[in-house]
Amino acid sequence: MNNTPLEDQVHDALRRTADPLHRTPFTVGDVRTRARRIQRRRAAVAAGAVAAVLAVAVPIGAAMVGPAQRSEVPPATQTPAPRLTGPILVDPRSAEVVESTSVPLLDVDGARLLTQEGTVDLPRAYDSLTPYLDGWVAVANEEGTLTLEVLDDDLRVVGDPVPTGGLVVSTDGQQVAWTEYADGRWQVVRAPVAGGTEPDTTPLAPGPEGAPVRPVGFLSATEVVVDRFDEAGEVTTYVVGDGAADELPGLLQATSSSAATGTLAGLTSTDLASGCSGVVDGRGQAGTRTWETCDHTLDSFSPDGRHIVGFAPDSDGYGSPTVSILDADTGEAVVDFEVAGSRRQVAAFHDRVGWDGDDTAVLTLLTGDERFVVRLGVDGSVQRVGGATSIDSSGLVVAEVR
Amino acid sequence: MTATLVGMGAHDRRADKDADFSAYMSARQTALYRTAYLLAGDHATAEDLLQNAFAKLYLSWDRVRDREALDGYVRRIMVNENNSLWRRAWKRREHSTDTLPETGSVDTYDDGMGGVLWSFVQTLPPKQRSVIVLRYYEQLSEAEIAETLGISVGTVKSQASRALAGLRARAPRSLDPHGPHHDESGDAR
Repeated sequence: MNNTPLEDQVHDALRRTADPLHRTPFTVGDVRTRARRIQRRRAAVAAGAVAAVLAVAVPIGAAMVGPAQRSEVPPATQTPAPRLTGPILVDPRSAEVVESTSVPLLDVDGARLLTQEGTVDLPRAYDSLTPYLDGWVAVANEEGTLTLEVLDDDLRVVGDPVPTGGLVVSTDGQQVAWTEYADGRWQVVRAPVAGGTEPDTTPLAPGPEGAPVRPVGFLSATEVVVDRFDEAGEVTTYVVGDGAADELPGLLQATSSSAATGTLAGLTSTDLASGCSGVVDGRGQAGTRTWETCDHTLDSFSPDGRHIVGFAPDSDGYGSPTVSILDADTGEAVVDFEVAGSRRQVAAFHDRVGWDGDDTAVLTLLTGDERFVVRLGVDGSVQRVGGATSIDSSGLVVAEVR
Repeated sequence: MTATLVGMGAHDRRADKDADFSAYMSARQTALYRTAYLLAGDHATAEDLLQNAFAKLYLSWDRVRDREALDGYVRRIMVNENNSLWRRAWKRREHSTDTLPETGSVDTYDDGMGGVLWSFVQTLPPKQRSVIVLRYYEQLSEAEIAETLGISVGTVKSQASRALAGLRARAPRSLDPHGPHHDESGDAR
């Protein structure tokens, strides 16, 4: 019989396990290499398989409200929103509460999709999920390895899953695009969600499966932006359409695109200590840079392309302490938000954004050990979405369409 | 402002930074690797956690004013990474297929190895396990753990309590003479 308290025994057990280890597996060079990858990933949160909590989902069925529903007002007739001075503190506990958002949410701990129309129990957790034909097309993520599954209307997998780099949906929800690996090469597939015509498939140059091609978003009704990673981690951005893939210079890596304006956002430079991002014109082949900022890491465009979300460039593992909505034409901040929290608590926005119409971003945020879903308006408004709850402690993630 | 500033000043600062960071790594890598291993439970994940944490520290090096807080910064990143959503989901699936040690057949602790308890610690949910590692290996206070994990002291207490309860529930009777296995008559429950 051992009369030592359990706490002391645990201490001893941990010491006996750990103390014999004398490992120093890394050099500073190893760490710098990893840091460089992190810098790129931070600027490309949409593309990183490591950011596995990323999820893309669009509404179920044609009757549902789109997650990025566009206004009917043409952007050109709108005047830019005035710059709001000073950061707006986001305290979800005291914010106005709304019941729901049109942006679908995925429950991290449960295989569930939550929409305004109800909850769908999924056969497994998916990164991405969107209506397709009579059922769904979905991306599953197993420790960063993505596979594409087509599901029927009973959520049964049809055919064999294939390796994929992800899927994206057009702003109007009418088209879906994904990448898949087959016969020694990656190819980009674009298809109408409702079917009716054959998918448009564009094969890329042969390459290894381990050097993935990840869809970034739609650049127009017929063009899809993809990032192609080589085995050294270098990235080339392509515009794929009409059966051809054209390299687009101007960005080290694309993170989002806007079919409304034909522009792309992404990383423009990195020197380990900092990273800069910018917006380029995707309609020409020169990748002409419209503007650049070193104050924000750029995320998704609003559906009308007038705004773009920017996070702090030095976001840590918890997310970003601030989020800004920028004028997508100029890069000027329209409004800055800062999550409220004590200095002793983690307080950060998760690097996931959905758009509830043209003027309201939907994000999840963490304060202490609580997670909330909030709506942040271009006009500085802050609302907490109170109706959606997760089944466990990991909370909900915003589903989004890029 | 997009001008490129590459001059001797920047070069010198980079060299200083690398020298400082290298010294810190040399001094602390072994100890922090042990923590990473206890959090992760395997060497591959431990290496991943630690390299990721060092890389993020490197990126933030100039902003970390308090050099006494560096270990805490690295621990916080490792814990957060280990608890991150998908890693956690993966671990859950992994554990659902694990065969836990048969408590009835391993009823001794004083084997000099501590392997039985360690195997039980590995089955704890990541948050509870983090609290256990920080409390009983790193010997941090509840307040320090709360700061590291970004949670309240109350949550630290409840997580620790649940973790110990979980260990008691699985541990052989002889491992916990003061636990709930025994009633007044000394009978195991």
